[in-house]
Amino acid sequence: MNVAVKSIQKILLTMLLALAIGALFILFIGENPLEAYGALLRGAFNGKLKIGTTLASFTPLLLTSCAFAVAAKAGAFNVGVEGEVFLGGITAAYIGINWTFLPAPVLMIVCFLGAMTVAALWALIPAVLKAYYRVSEVCVTILMNSVALYITSYLVSGPMSAGVANAQSLPVTVNLPQFMKPSSVNAGLFIALITVVFMIWVLNKTTFGYKVKTVGTNPSHAEYVGISPKKIFIQSMMLSGALGGMAGCIEVLGVHGYFLNNFAAGLGSNGMLASLIVKNNLIFAPFMSFFLAVLKSGAMGMQQSTGVPKSIVDTITAVFIIVATMELLFQFKDKKNKKEKSK
Amino acid sequence: MDLGKIFSVSLIYATFRSATPIIYAALCAAITQQADILNIGTEGIMLTGAFAAVAVSYLTGSWLLGVVVAMIAGLIMAMIMAVGHIRYKAEICAIGMGINLFALAITKFLLNSALGKSGTFSEPGIIAIPRVSLPFLAKVPFLKEIFDNWCITEWFVIVLIILVWFVFYKTVWGLRLRAVGQFPMAAQTAGINVNSMKYRAIAISGLIGGLAGAHLSLGYSKMFTENMTNARGFMGVAAMYFGGAHPILTAAGCLVFGLTDSIGARLQAYGVPSQLVLLMPYVVTIATLAVSMASKMAREKKKKSALAKA
Amino acid sequence: MSEYVIEMKDIVKSFGNVHAVRNGQFTLKKGEIHSLIGENGAGKSTMMKLLYGMYPIDDGSIRIHGDHIPSISPKIAIEKGIGMVHQEFMLVNELTVLENIILGFEPRHGITIDFDKARKTVEQYINQYGMDIQLGKKINQISVGEAQRVEIIKTLTRGANVIILDEPTAVLTPQETKQLFVILQNLRKDGKSLVFISHKLNEVMEISDRISVMRQGNYIGSVSKEETSPAELAKMMIGREVFLNIEKTQTKPGEKVLEVKDVWVSGEKEISKIRGVSLDVRAGEIVGIAGIDGNGQSELIEAIAGLRQVEKGSVLLDGKELGGLSPKQIRKAGLSHIPEDRNTRGLNRSMSIKENLIAVQVGEAPFCKGVVRDDKETLEYAKQLSEVFDIRPRDPEISTQSLSGGNAQKVVVAREVSIGGKLLVASQPTRGVDIGAIESIRKILQEVKAKGMGVLLVSADLEEILSLSDRIVVMHEGRITGRLKAEDANEDNLGLLMMGGTASAEERGSTT
Repeated sequence: MNVAVKSIQKILLTMLLALAIGALFILFIGENPLEAYGALLRGAFNGKLKIGTTLASFTPLLLTSCAFAVAAKAGAFNVGVEGEVFLGGITAAYIGINWTFLPAPVLMIVCFLGAMTVAALWALIPAVLKAYYRVSEVCVTILMNSVALYITSYLVSGPMSAGVANAQSLPVTVNLPQFMKPSSVNAGLFIALITVVFMIWVLNKTTFGYKVKTVGTNPSHAEYVGISPKKIFIQSMMLSGALGGMAGCIEVLGVHGYFLNNFAAGLGSNGMLASLIVKNNLIFAPFMSFFLAVLKSGAMGMQQSTGVPKSIVDTITAVFIIVATMELLFQFKDKKNKKEKSK
Repeated sequence: MDLGKIFSVSLIYATFRSATPIIYAALCAAITQQADILNIGTEGIMLTGAFAAVAVSYLTGSWLLGVVVAMIAGLIMAMIMAVGHIRYKAEICAIGMGINLFALAITKFLLNSALGKSGTFSEPGIIAIPRVSLPFLAKVPFLKEIFDNWCITEWFVIVLIILVWFVFYKTVWGLRLRAVGQFPMAAQTAGINVNSMKYRAIAISGLIGGLAGAHLSLGYSKMFTENMTNARGFMGVAAMYFGGAHPILTAAGCLVFGLTDSIGARLQAYGVPSQLVLLMPYVVTIATLAVSMASKMAREKKKKSALAKA
Repeated sequence: MSEYVIEMKDIVKSFGNVHAVRNGQFTLKKGEIHSLIGENGAGKSTMMKLLYGMYPIDDGSIRIHGDHIPSISPKIAIEKGIGMVHQEFMLVNELTVLENIILGFEPRHGITIDFDKARKTVEQYINQYGMDIQLGKKINQISVGEAQRVEIIKTLTRGANVIILDEPTAVLTPQETKQLFVILQNLRKDGKSLVFISHKLNEVMEISDRISVMRQGNYIGSVSKEETSPAELAKMMIGREVFLNIEKTQTKPGEKVLEVKDVWVSGEKEISKIRGVSLDVRAGEIVGIAGIDGNGQSELIEAIAGLRQVEKGSVLLDGKELGGLSPKQIRKAGLSHIPEDRNTRGLNRSMSIKENLIAVQVGEAPFCKGVVRDDKETLEYAKQLSEVFDIRPRDPEISTQSLSGGNAQKVVVAREVSIGGKLLVASQPTRGVDIGAIESIRKILQEVKAKGMGVLLVSADLEEILSLSDRIVVMHEGRITGRLKAEDANEDNLGLLMMGGTASAEERGSTT
């Protein structure tokens, strides 16, 4: 059987299992799972506003899942995408508020560049620690997420505070155009889509992509053929960081219009989930991101129209990832076939 | 700023108090590490334990039952990870993160649906782990400040550190565990069932992780909040790296984080923004991790060097 | 009661798509030394690992002392009195010798280990066989020979009466091998039954009572030593008559392409640290480095290739100082390198043959246009190399995952030889490949030399060193202990030098 077909099949089976386990939880609290899932779908697709909201939550996940996958291709487990989104966001906000001497289109581009640069430099720290000192990037990036959250939280409640009750910055002076109003979906969706397609091209067609894959699959071989594993590892981590920063920038310029404290909570981890579930396959990751976005944006509707709390959605996604990481699950048929063949 | 007020005798207990949850977490990670399994799921195991402890303590009025159920809850989470990793070959980091996210979600879900609260659960009905007052210490001023009124689980962590050390280095089980971690094939050819050793290591790790959570919610504090572990599990993992999975060195590493935490708390009284105080333990953890790994590499390099005298 | 201690019948075992054993037969009588021989990949190690319960068998039956054992684990094997000395020692580096010996069978005081009792039991066996073992040392502090003795003691303390030795002489000098044979004969005298796995015919003829031959997973036959000859055994092993001794092409050596001057390099173990090695290779000659595995050969090669830091001294390639250059720059300076481990270094097993063939030229014309890879050019080139070097299957698009040892090695050789540098470093170029591939790889090395490249050959196989090299240097514990012209070298004098020179060899000889 075709490898791609097989992996899609596995993902779908995993999805069903996760939804079934979710249904058990819903039954457990005395609600009807079918009704709840129905309400969830309505919450995600019923009407222009709801579709727009779904697309708006899809946008950052596209980028964060891609960011995680790009690092993973080089063998890094970058849990730090979330922190990179925060720092990208705060940088975009700072530039968007203060550098008003630039003409709007230029300011927009500078916001993106600034956000991506700062996020990439943030990712450089765990990358260097791992490449040169073998410090677990998982540990470091997780801890750095907390640091990033506290730094941005400090900035928007202190030096960059708008002086309102919420911890948030002043509004930025450039905005990505929104459509399907009153939802917050915006031009960032297209920027994200183009970026993801570009990344797929980079990894599959370019020399750099080949090097990343070589380092990710066999660093010892890479070193021997003259590809520096350290250099490539660091470069992909920075690229991953830049993508996270871009997501943060889009959220600030497109969705909120200012930096809101803790706005990126879950964006990084959901992107990581989407990528991990599809084994960091860049082509599948967007679809999984979309599925998670549907769950996320439909959850509120479900909570309102049924008695099921929206936290069930996080539970389902977490079950999804746990089941999806189990390589050998759903391979019973294969094993049987193999045995018969060998006889 | 009054340095005397920051570095007073009470800082010693404050340090130990902040370090204790992390020490439990670090021991949870150290046990699996000896079997060469990186327990990234420590955070989630601990969070589940914290929730279970508070919920059971509130519902039954027994802190002991709370602690026991927390350990069982930790065990269940750990076993999900064990089966996924060993039986179904899940990558340990991936499933560990999965466990963490699952713990975060399920505790939130149960908090909403079973306890009917969101965010924080703090009721007078929660029975905390009792504190022990030692009357003979009450007369000695210096020692009183350090040792008086410790929570039972704070005393117990000291016992546990020594116990874990004893198990690792003095018992048959510990020898086999280390062999499994360092060279599984050698253990296998010695007739040791490698997978069963790994299952057992993860199971015990789960029990300790659950206890870590119970201490956090019923000993260190007396409530449950969403994501209340707040990366303490990861700090435990970092401390475990720092101590090379040796229980005593690992615990020593945790004290460093505890110290930063308590100094930070005191600095806050002097107008240092709370966020900058809160991020200190994380920064110190990263720095410690980096320094310990760098010096480990330097030692290795020296050991391998041809120029050094044999 | 059966006349056999061990009976293995109609054994089948495959790993994924690889049929390791198709039709395995083996019997062992009490008190005999039974050799199991065959080429690399013939399935002999797998057979014995199945007997020891390392993997389950797919089909067939195993009887121990006449009892049918439906499923074996190492634990059951040990209980039934089977011990195995693996080719790769099963010793935990960070634990002491004593801890390693008692692992899994620890005498106890409640839950703690009774080290006193353990020491007494183990010392009893050490004295019985007059072995030299220090129980308190950690494994990473002892020599290979000692580690092997530890493995033998391990089987004895577990009460083994059947001992399997998987290629025990591969890591030993000829002299150490003789000492091992004395131990083996003593064990036989005490009624132990031994299985000796090897592919060295002279050793097999010396030590065995009976010999069984396997080829490509199949049992070929068993003969008693008296009734056979090395020539017959070779024919059984290979299936045809083979003459590996290729005519050495004589060329006139030219300029120095490699100069290694007083080089010091860090090592994984104490004995593999390079301490002041100097050597040179000229264009158009093959210089062979002989030595027992782990005496610094790997470290020296890695240092030349820029994969390990040179701590002191200098390496010049075609007159250019290599110190501080990256592996890429060293390759640009003219290095081709067949590494000792094709699975982790030489190949990226998760990529296709095509991609592996251009791995060192990624990002270079004609295999890319700007930053984009050129798949067409790559495929053309790969097809051409597959044809010239006879890589099977011929489809360069398939993954290298499924390639046999010989074809996988041909991919590495094809890539390295085709880039045409000044110096070819070939480390264990024929290890673990089939006889056909050995022939063709050795021929290629000769051709490379004839074209005027310098070749530095590292091999643990003395026969390979002797048949290919123009000059030979011998390494022992990170130093060069001898330099010989090919015509002056033979297995005996090389063997002595591999142990660190004549003097120390005599010393060791007198202690046994």
